[in-house]
Amino acid sequence: MKLLVVEDEPSLLTSILEYFTQEDFLCEGVSTFTQSLQKVEDFQYDCIILDINLPDGNGLMLLKYLRQQKKDDGVIIISARNSLDDRITGLDLGADDYLIKPFHLSELNARVKALLRRKYGKGVNLLETGNLKLDLLSRSVTCNDQQVSLTKHEFDLLTYLLNNQNRVVGKQAIAEHIYGHETENMPSFDFVYSHIKNLKKKLKETGCDELIQSVYGLGYKISV
Amino acid sequence: MKTLLQRNTRYLLTWLPVILLICCIAFYVLMKMQAHHMQEKQLQLKQSNVWMAFVKSNGTIPRAIQGEFDIVPGILKQTTKSLSPRDTSIYLPQKNKILPFELLSSQFEWNKDKYIVSAYVSSTEISHLIIKVFITEAVILLLLLLSIVLLNKRNSQILWKPFFETLTKLKEYDVTRNESISLPDETNTKEFKELNVAFVDLIGKVNIAYYNQKQFVDNASHEMQTPLAIIRSKLELLINQPGLTESTAAQLGDITEANDKLSRMNRTLLLLAKIENNQFLNTESINFSDLLHREVSLLKKHYDDDFPTLTLSVTDDITLVANLSLLEILIHNLVINAVEHNIQGGSISINLSNSLLIIENTGLPLSQPAQTLFERFKKGSHKSRTTGLGLALVKQICVLYNYNVVYKYAHGLHKIEVTFP
Repeated sequence: MKLLVVEDEPSLLTSILEYFTQEDFLCEGVSTFTQSLQKVEDFQYDCIILDINLPDGNGLMLLKYLRQQKKDDGVIIISARNSLDDRITGLDLGADDYLIKPFHLSELNARVKALLRRKYGKGVNLLETGNLKLDLLSRSVTCNDQQVSLTKHEFDLLTYLLNNQNRVVGKQAIAEHIYGHETENMPSFDFVYSHIKNLKKKLKETGCDELIQSVYGLGYKISV
Repeated sequence: MKTLLQRNTRYLLTWLPVILLICCIAFYVLMKMQAHHMQEKQLQLKQSNVWMAFVKSNGTIPRAIQGEFDIVPGILKQTTKSLSPRDTSIYLPQKNKILPFELLSSQFEWNKDKYIVSAYVSSTEISHLIIKVFITEAVILLLLLLSIVLLNKRNSQILWKPFFETLTKLKEYDVTRNESISLPDETNTKEFKELNVAFVDLIGKVNIAYYNQKQFVDNASHEMQTPLAIIRSKLELLINQPGLTESTAAQLGDITEANDKLSRMNRTLLLLAKIENNQFLNTESINFSDLLHREVSLLKKHYDDDFPTLTLSVTDDITLVANLSLLEILIHNLVINAVEHNIQGGSISINLSNSLLIIENTGLPLSQPAQTLFERFKKGSHKSRTTGLGLALVKQICVLYNYNVVYKYAHGLHKIEVTFP
């Protein structure tokens, strides 16, 4: 999968690039509007991660250009401005998703994967790890061919962890993913722990124990 | 505290009567003196007329007329002051009364004989006149007093009218709405004109200062987003490094938590700035009762076993016209506040009736003054988990929609009341 990251902040750019390189993406990063225009003219990308505020132009202009040229590269906008107008403009111009800074890389990863699944459709709606199978369309989970019934939050949690396989996903990232911006004013993330506990218990009943590991209280991880 | 007009009237009413009383007394004394003087002149004239008539007629005119004069041969004793009139009283048989008279006696000489000539004048008429004049004067002064006070009052009202208009406008002024103020400038009083100009000028400056402060918070928060995003991304990469030791993990955990709190604070500040800038324009009619149920059950799930005993009493189908996410935040923050500042085994009571939302919770008394409760970063407890912005946000939302929010503490219960207009 080819990924283009357009972000003018070098540190953030390297972080994103590093993360997605580890995810086996073919990553390229640019930090100006001109460079990004050059790139999209020359190459086709599966997904473009696009910052709106660039030193020499607006990221939305690139999006406009892409859609005018009938290029169907997936675009995820990352912006420091959490204004509804920006979001609507972005989505109207044909962005696939919109993420507000500061975001979690695991969240960005999950969004990119969701985008790619939507884009390339069939066959990839099944997430598999060992004996565990998760069907995104029917929202069902089987473990050792046994149905596991999960609540909405537990299902979302499991999907999120599976999307970020072999990675430690922080409690904060999980909380924000499940509850969205509701968590902004939540003083604690203890509820993540209880969700994980319940999920582990249900998985254990069907023999998929030891799947979710806790990492020093930092977060959780599913390893293959 | 007295009003300006009351004070003015009061001042007049205190001092004017005193002055008028003194005037009255002085007037009375002076009038009395003048009357006395006049009587003396009258008596002297009468005396000399009588004597001239006596001499001309060679002593044939009657020697006495009661109440008018008498001529008695003899020598006047010089002990009394013979030249000034004396008080006396005469019995008048026709009236059957003893009446007061003034008497002036002098020594005269005719054909080597000495006579005492006394002239009389009645004091009754003059004293009646004095009393009548005095009463008239007193009535006039009283009328004067009344009209001065009334005129002064009316005059003050007219004079101070622009001042009170300005005052009303200033009371209505609210810096958080950042509106410019227009003060009436049709006043003809120079000082009030200057006052209004000074106020308009001052408020202009205040608005600019407030706008700048708001912009600063807004800009600072926006500028902080990127560094926060960098820290967050680096932390995520770090926790995925192979060979992570437990102590490093613990430190990373602390950093993540602190960074997260910073991000939350930052987002809340941005939200506050957005509400202040009135950027939540899309309002809709919201079933507040349903929303309250939804938010409370969501939070109950969040807190799980830590949620205090809840008493919920909600009148159905109460609707409010507002922005949905702001109302969510309002309820959310109020309930979280009630949970976070509760005691072990405490309780919460939520009551929604027509235009009143009451949230009560058990808890320790506040460690800071109650009026600072809704200010930013004024945390009652030193819980590091909360940002200290929750109630500030509540206040801001209430200000935006003209809801009234008050805090009370009684019998170990913290009570926050939100009144909807």
